[in-house]
Amino acid sequence: MFKAALIALLLAAAIPTAHAQAPSRQEAPASGFNPTATEVKEQDLLNALSKVEGRISIPDTRAATLIQPAGQTWRDYRRGPLLWITAAIVLGMMALLTLFYLIRGRIRIEGGRGTRTVLRFGAFERFMHWVTAASWCVLAVSGLNIVAGSRVLLPLIGQDAFSTVSGWLKYSHNFLAFPFTSGVVLMLLVWVRHNIPNRMDLEWFRQGGGLFGHRHPHSRKFNGGQKAVFWIVVLGGGALAATGFTLMFPFYITDVTGMQLAQIAHGGVSLLMIGAMLGHIYIGSVGMEGALDAMNSGQVDRKWAAAHHDLWLAEVDAKSTPSGHPAE
Amino acid sequence: MLIKRRDSAVQSSRLQSTTLHSALGELSSGVLDRRAFLRRAGFTAGAVGLAGLPLGSVKRAEAAAIDPAIPVKRVKSVCTHCSVGCSVIAEVQNGVWVRQEAAFESPINRGSHCAKGASVRELVKGSRRLRSPMKLVNGEWQKLTWDTALEEISAKLLKIREQSGPESVFWLGSAKFSNEGAYLYRKMAAFWGTNTADHQARICHSTTVAGVANTWGYGAMTNSYNDIRNAKTMVIMGGNPAEAHPVSLQHILSGKELNRANLVVIDPRFTRTAAHATDYIRIRPGSDIPTIYGMLWHIFENKWEDTQFIAQRVYGMDDVRKEVAKWTPEEVERVTGVPGEQLKRVAYMMTHEKPATLIWCMGATQKTVGTANVRAYCILLLATGNVGAPGTGANIFRGHCNVQGATDAGLDVTSLPFYYGLAESAWRHWARVWEVDYDYLLSRFDSKKMMETSGIPTTRWFDGVLADQKSIDQRNPLKAMMVFGHGGNTVTRMPEMVKGLEALDLLVVADPHPTTFAVVSERKDNTYLLPICTQFETSGSRTASNRSIQWADQVVEPIWESKNDQEVMFRLAEKLGFAEKMFKNIKIEGKVPVIEDITREINRGAWSTGYPGQSPERLKAHMANQERFDIVTLKARGGEVDGETYGLPWPCWGTPEMKHPGSHILYNTNLHVKDGGGTFRARFGLERNGQTLLAEGSYSKGSEIQDGYPEITYAMLKKLGWEGELSEAEMAVITRVGGGKPDAVSWAIDLSGGLQRVAMDHGLVPYGNAKARANAFNLPDPVPVHREPIYTARPELVAKYPTRPDERQFRQANIGFTVQKRAVDLNIAQKFPIVLTSGRLVEYEGGGEETRSNPWLAELQQDMFVEINPNDAKARGIQNGQMVWVTGAESNSKARVKAYVTERVGPGVAFMPFHFAGWFQGEDQRSRYPKGADPYVLGESVNVLTTYGYDPVTQMQETKCTLCQIATVLA
Amino acid sequence: MARVKFLCDADRCIDCNACVTACKNANEVPWGINRRRVVTINDGKPGERSVSMACMHCTDAPCAAVCPVDCFFTTADAVVLHSKDLCIGCGYCFYACPFGAPQYPKLGNFGSRGKMDKCTYCSGGPEGADGSAAEFAKYGANRMAEGKLPLCAEMCSTKALLAGDGEIIAQIYRERVLKRGYGSGAWGWQTAYKETVNV
Repeated sequence: MFKAALIALLLAAAIPTAHAQAPSRQEAPASGFNPTATEVKEQDLLNALSKVEGRISIPDTRAATLIQPAGQTWRDYRRGPLLWITAAIVLGMMALLTLFYLIRGRIRIEGGRGTRTVLRFGAFERFMHWVTAASWCVLAVSGLNIVAGSRVLLPLIGQDAFSTVSGWLKYSHNFLAFPFTSGVVLMLLVWVRHNIPNRMDLEWFRQGGGLFGHRHPHSRKFNGGQKAVFWIVVLGGGALAATGFTLMFPFYITDVTGMQLAQIAHGGVSLLMIGAMLGHIYIGSVGMEGALDAMNSGQVDRKWAAAHHDLWLAEVDAKSTPSGHPAE
Repeated sequence: MLIKRRDSAVQSSRLQSTTLHSALGELSSGVLDRRAFLRRAGFTAGAVGLAGLPLGSVKRAEAAAIDPAIPVKRVKSVCTHCSVGCSVIAEVQNGVWVRQEAAFESPINRGSHCAKGASVRELVKGSRRLRSPMKLVNGEWQKLTWDTALEEISAKLLKIREQSGPESVFWLGSAKFSNEGAYLYRKMAAFWGTNTADHQARICHSTTVAGVANTWGYGAMTNSYNDIRNAKTMVIMGGNPAEAHPVSLQHILSGKELNRANLVVIDPRFTRTAAHATDYIRIRPGSDIPTIYGMLWHIFENKWEDTQFIAQRVYGMDDVRKEVAKWTPEEVERVTGVPGEQLKRVAYMMTHEKPATLIWCMGATQKTVGTANVRAYCILLLATGNVGAPGTGANIFRGHCNVQGATDAGLDVTSLPFYYGLAESAWRHWARVWEVDYDYLLSRFDSKKMMETSGIPTTRWFDGVLADQKSIDQRNPLKAMMVFGHGGNTVTRMPEMVKGLEALDLLVVADPHPTTFAVVSERKDNTYLLPICTQFETSGSRTASNRSIQWADQVVEPIWESKNDQEVMFRLAEKLGFAEKMFKNIKIEGKVPVIEDITREINRGAWSTGYPGQSPERLKAHMANQERFDIVTLKARGGEVDGETYGLPWPCWGTPEMKHPGSHILYNTNLHVKDGGGTFRARFGLERNGQTLLAEGSYSKGSEIQDGYPEITYAMLKKLGWEGELSEAEMAVITRVGGGKPDAVSWAIDLSGGLQRVAMDHGLVPYGNAKARANAFNLPDPVPVHREPIYTARPELVAKYPTRPDERQFRQANIGFTVQKRAVDLNIAQKFPIVLTSGRLVEYEGGGEETRSNPWLAELQQDMFVEINPNDAKARGIQNGQMVWVTGAESNSKARVKAYVTERVGPGVAFMPFHFAGWFQGEDQRSRYPKGADPYVLGESVNVLTTYGYDPVTQMQETKCTLCQIATVLA
Repeated sequence: MARVKFLCDADRCIDCNACVTACKNANEVPWGINRRRVVTINDGKPGERSVSMACMHCTDAPCAAVCPVDCFFTTADAVVLHSKDLCIGCGYCFYACPFGAPQYPKLGNFGSRGKMDKCTYCSGGPEGADGSAAEFAKYGANRMAEGKLPLCAEMCSTKALLAGDGEIIAQIYRERVLKRGYGSGAWGWQTAYKETVNV
């Protein structure tokens, strides 16, 4: 069951798992030859396949891989580029947002908050969002710890404490994968119909989402930017789940090369998502007045709604008025 | 920081010297000494508790802390697996074997082991050993005490004896016995009154012993593992020592490298050994004789034979020439599949790149033509002059750790201990040694005729149970079986064997493990299991394949409730009423016979094989001075063993006081007999059809008779005028032995050793100096001829090369001819088109019960499998790793195993390892084992599928060529 | 200073698995954990060679470099050890290891792993007293502290597996190849040590 699901997920993430067989020697005669002279050289095998594989009698098929120098490439990636990319994305995004805040400041509701609110997200939607968001935060932190904790946290708290903390973070990473994945799946089911991209979104993006200037582009329940966040979460989250479960059930469906690629993919997608989510968190909290309410109480200021989701507000109002006439 | 501080300077200097010792010794042939390191070592590592883990789970064995204040005892024993005879170093603390160390000082293994040897410590942890005596009560195992068990068993035995006679009990012994145990078991059968006492040699090298002994005198490896280092050409035909005798490869590969020697492997399978050959030749299974004759054809054609050697030391080579002339390269290729050029190349090496040695194992012996195969091998060696010198010889790799010794000690249905045979003179000899009346022994048997008739061998015992009174040449069929240390999945035709088991009135299995016998049948009662300890839990001597005898000290006390073989035999003899007579000269401590007393009794009686000189004291001195022995010559330098050969390989003539050094290489005329030299044995008369059988112009160094001579008797000494050199005491013994007629007393029955001493003083070999026989006129096929296997994949060859006619052998009919004819008539080869052959895996041994119960080994081979060629697999839609049914040509037999698709086997050939049991024709029998004594790994036995076929000389079974079909398992 | 290494002479290795069971024996390694193994290349075909492999104790060990909790240590003999106190069983060292050396007991939920276990070059563990019962239980034997080499190499049936000072075993191998005239090289050395044995 699990395995089948994992295979499906993995295929979705398109991680290559197939590996070629070791090249068999040129057809030697079945009898009357010199086996000592028909020796194989390690370098030839490595050149042909980039690893040396053979047969082993124990059930652990991983053990049949004798030498896989790719491990060193992976090491080099982990201790070099990965650290720089992580630093660049996390620190860079934070710097960018700070800069943006300094320039643009908090986006206010035009004319200040009104007195009337409208229900934007119901309890279930909010629950779904926060489960996903909370687990994602822990996943991100624990993931970042795996990548860079020994550089950042270890010098501060010492080896034993760091190992204990990392152990717990590893457990939380493993366990929170499930609520996170469930949240993503639910969001996909509940919100996908609101997130089909259309021409309006192009217009929204052309106008920069109304961030600059005072005219707001039209928008239904989700504007172009929010749709982008949705798809980043769904697709990115899906990829993280696929690669993550591959890593969590090591070697169930792939070999060591697949595991390395899964790990690289998992890390890469995570970092992109971390960058995107930092932006999402910014705009959903300090960046924009009234936005947090949508996921907090669920009730948003009608003025905010009118500004950012005019068409949606109209739809909501139309639904709540049996006569079909606008309420105001 | 957590990192430990290490004294790097000290560390590195230690490392360098250790490395040099462990590895550089490789290049020189020097003797290794790692004792300094061992002495310096402080032992504080933990001992280990019992790990009873179920398959697939992982649990750390509990480590019990060991008090560093308690001293560590270092005990030396010998590996209990194969016949190479690797020394094992045990470190014992508080009576627990806590660590195993590499025995660098052993000239045989120099620290090395194979997977089995490196894991023997587990045997005395015994996680899956049988813990107490058990019996089947209405199909359930029940515990009982030793005394009750032996009381019940002996009562039943005596009842069977009374009702059916002594011949109705089959005494199956073991190559896992020490020499003392094996000897005692044979002696017990004699005191019980039957010759039906056998052991694994029957299914191992019985044909080698018969074939080789009938060629040049003794049925044993002529040289040694170590001596192979001297060879320039090594031909391994029908053996896979890389898996069966891995440590021998140390010597073989060293020889190959140091001499740049040829290593030719001739085998139907491209084995792990073949992977290291310089020449691999694939033959059709069962075509050994044509292959040998294919080589001889080129040798005679090109006049490459050693004419001087043949003229001086070989009888009947011309008869061989006539047979070989029929085997033209074309006919050889038709029958064997090997092109003539390939065999010509090997023939050239054997005659031009000398010394050459021929190494064989079960591939040669386990055939209906086993004896003839072995004879053909010997003839090849004789024709090329490759016997009796360093680097040459028939290097026969025996199987179990003491199969050579157990064979010597007479666990054989055809002979009393040490090849004395069953004639009255032999019985009288042993009666003198045992100090019992000949008439008493006679009274134990049904008749004098039965006393002098070969018993029923282990390959045919179940036929002996299922036979009716008329079809068996003894008073009654077999009713009871006593099994000491023998697996139940080792004989062919297992479905028939199971019927035999079920028909027995009494089955007793004395073994460290329950064995297949305990579970494979539907027996519900009258079945007993007796827990026997391993050889690590007792002491005694064991004879390695090269005839070196090694003394093993007891490492730990027998674990659980197990007892050693000799104690159980004593207790049983007590209950059966002949203990007092049987143990007359053996001291008993408590209930345990003193092992050295048994060795000394062997010394007193085993003149014919050259076992009189190896006293326990001398053997122990060799073990204590191992580092003095050279790795190539096995000769000691210095100390109390100076000049002696390691393990006093037999023949070691004369009394221990004569200090014969043992014979490293048999029939080596380049040495004085007192230095281990020898000649071919005069054993088959003086002449035949006007031709002399004695050597001509060839003699061992220092011989005062510079020509052939018969075996030494008192009459001969008199003729030579040397009788005065006998001491008074010696003369008195000779007179007593001769019963007033000393003339007939020979070197083999003179209990004083005087005849041997005087002969050697004159440079004469006690057994005489004869020619080896290329024509062994007393055998069914005096000159070997090719005969197709009973079940052959080439039925068209049967008309020209049929098996031997039906005949009565060993008290029963051998109907091989009828079975072969029926197989051809019914076109069995069409229904079962794949040749099935069997063999070993390195991780397991024999029936595999012990090794499959050792988790360190069992983990490495968890599935029974069948090797099948990719072509055959493809034709049947079989994928690698898939479950398949292998079906056999008899009894509708079938086995469910994993397919292992590999080019290791040729098209049309399948291979299965023979170590598995516990599954029977698709049924998992794990629940039938006594609780906790089931091996970790179970699997189908190949012998469920193997079929009828017995060598006419020894009743060796056919395990290497039968037919099968393979099909996918439909879910 | 000595830099210890393993060298498996594939032209000598016969896949007898002595090294594997010697390791189990010396270190009481449980079922399912294989600190050492023998892999056969071209099994059953011309060119068949077997190589015994365990942790090669690499120079600049990839396992150590990728460990998120920095639990690896290199001893003065260049043996790569790890602390089971610190290890969190993340499995990264297995992905990085070119030789498949790290092993993990399967524990508890899903595929989650216990603390990594691997060949210690019979050098015990990084913490605690040499040769103590606690060290043995956690890491296995500490033969090096007694001046002995790993038992796998000491017990190798054909002396194919060499252990000891890297320069000395390289020299032994070189002499062998010169003497016999063939040799498929020191398997894994290029990957582990960035050098080969030139003959």
